[in-house]
Amino acid sequence: MVGLLLYLALGIGLLVFLWALARRKGAPVEGCGRQFVEARQALRTLQFGLLPENLIQRIFDPEDFRYVTAASSGKIGELFLQERTRISLMWVRRVRSEIRNLMHFHLAYSRLHAKLSLLTEIRLALDFALLLMACRAMRILLYLRGPYGARSMVRVLTATAGRVCAASEKSLAFLNTPALESFRRDSAGHGAAI
Amino acid sequence: MLSLLLWPAGLLIELLLLVRSVQTKTFTKYIYFYAYISCVFIVSAGLFIGHSRLEFYEAWYWPTQFATLAMGCAVVLEIVRQALTAYPGAERFARVASWVVFAATFCYAEWHVARRTVWSTSNATVELERDLRVIEALVLATVMAIVFYYRIELGKNVTGMIVGFGAYVGVSVASLALRAFVGPRFNAGWGNLQTASYFFALIVWTVALWTYSPNPDPPGGGGGGGGYDALVDGTRARLESVRSQLGGVAR
Repeated sequence: MVGLLLYLALGIGLLVFLWALARRKGAPVEGCGRQFVEARQALRTLQFGLLPENLIQRIFDPEDFRYVTAASSGKIGELFLQERTRISLMWVRRVRSEIRNLMHFHLAYSRLHAKLSLLTEIRLALDFALLLMACRAMRILLYLRGPYGARSMVRVLTATAGRVCAASEKSLAFLNTPALESFRRDSAGHGAAI
Repeated sequence: MLSLLLWPAGLLIELLLLVRSVQTKTFTKYIYFYAYISCVFIVSAGLFIGHSRLEFYEAWYWPTQFATLAMGCAVVLEIVRQALTAYPGAERFARVASWVVFAATFCYAEWHVARRTVWSTSNATVELERDLRVIEALVLATVMAIVFYYRIELGKNVTGMIVGFGAYVGVSVASLALRAFVGPRFNAGWGNLQTASYFFALIVWTVALWTYSPNPDPPGGGGGGGGYDALVDGTRARLESVRSQLGGVAR
C-alpha cells in the first residue's frame, strides 16, 4: 500500500511539474552586460542603500522613540512605533530581495560553467535557502518584538558592512577587467551606469 | 472501446508528425525523438494489422512494448541533450543526478524482487515496465527541477517534448502501480489510461513540433570554467557576510 502511494505520488507530482512548466512565463533572455549591471546594482543596493551605518541607526536606534514618547502623547508614540515596525519590515524585505538577486546572478553564471561542482552547488543552494528562510524568520521576529527587539544589530551591521563591500567587489572582479568595455556597450542602451 | 478508437487516430497523428518532421527538416535535429516516433509507429501499425488474430497479438505485444519502452529512454536523452546542451554546468548537474536516480531506482527494484517469495511472470512484466517508467519519470523530474532552479529558457519544441512525454510517463507510472496493486481486474482501465495519455502526448507533440522552434540562446559570457571557483568563493563570501548581519539582527 505504501509502495502504491509512492508511485501515485510520483505520477501526480510529475504531472504537477509539467503543469508548472507549461504555464511558466519565459523570463527575458538578458544580455551578459545587463546581468553584470544588475548584479552590481544588487551589491550597491546592499552596500550603499540597505546596510549603511546611518540608515541602520536611523531605523533601529530606540533614541528616536524615546524622544517621541517624551515629547508627545502615548498615542503618537504608538503611531511612531507602528511606522518604525513597518519600515524595519520593509528593510528586511529589501535585503531578502537583494539576496535573491545575488542568488540569480550566481545561478545565471554557474549554469554555464562546465566545471560546476554538484556538491558545491547543492551546498550553496541550501545556504541560499537557509538565508532566505532566516530573512523570513527575522520578519516574524520584528513583527512580534518590534524594531527595538534586536539592538545589537547596529553594531554587527556596521562591522560587517565593510566585509560585504570587499567580498562583493572581489567576487565580481573576474567579470570586471577583461570585458568591462563590452559590458559597458551592452548596458549603455538601458541607460544603466557601471 | 476507447483504445480501438484512439489507436488508428494515433497512427495517423504519428504519420503526420513524421511527414511534418521531413517537411520542416527537424527529423535530423531531434533524431532520437523521431527515432522513437518511428519505432512506435512501426510497432503500432504492425500490431493494428494483426490485432484480429489473438495469438499473434499476444505473442508480439510484450516484446514490442519493451522495444518502445527502451526507445522511450531515447526521448529522455533527447530532452536532456536539447534542454541543457547550451548550459554545460546545468547539463553536468543533470547527468550526475540522473545516474544517481538510475542507480537508486535499480537498487530499490532489485531489493524489492529479492524480498519476493511468490513469483508471477505477468506481474513481474508489469512491475518491470513500471520500474523503467519510474526511472524515466524521476530523470524527467530532475531535468525539470534543474530547468526551474537555473531558470533555463526552453523553446516550444523541447517544452512540448517534455510536456507530452512527461504526461504519458506520469499517467503510466500511476496506472501501472494501480495495475500491480489491483491485479488483472484493472487491465481495461489501465489500457484506456495508457492509450488516452499517449494520444494526448501525440497531440501535444504535433502542436509543439509543427514548426522548428529551437531553445533561445543563453546570454553570453562565462562558460570558460576558469571563473567558477572565483564565482563560488565570491558567492560564499557574500552569503557569509549577509548571514552574519542577519544573525546580528536576530540577536
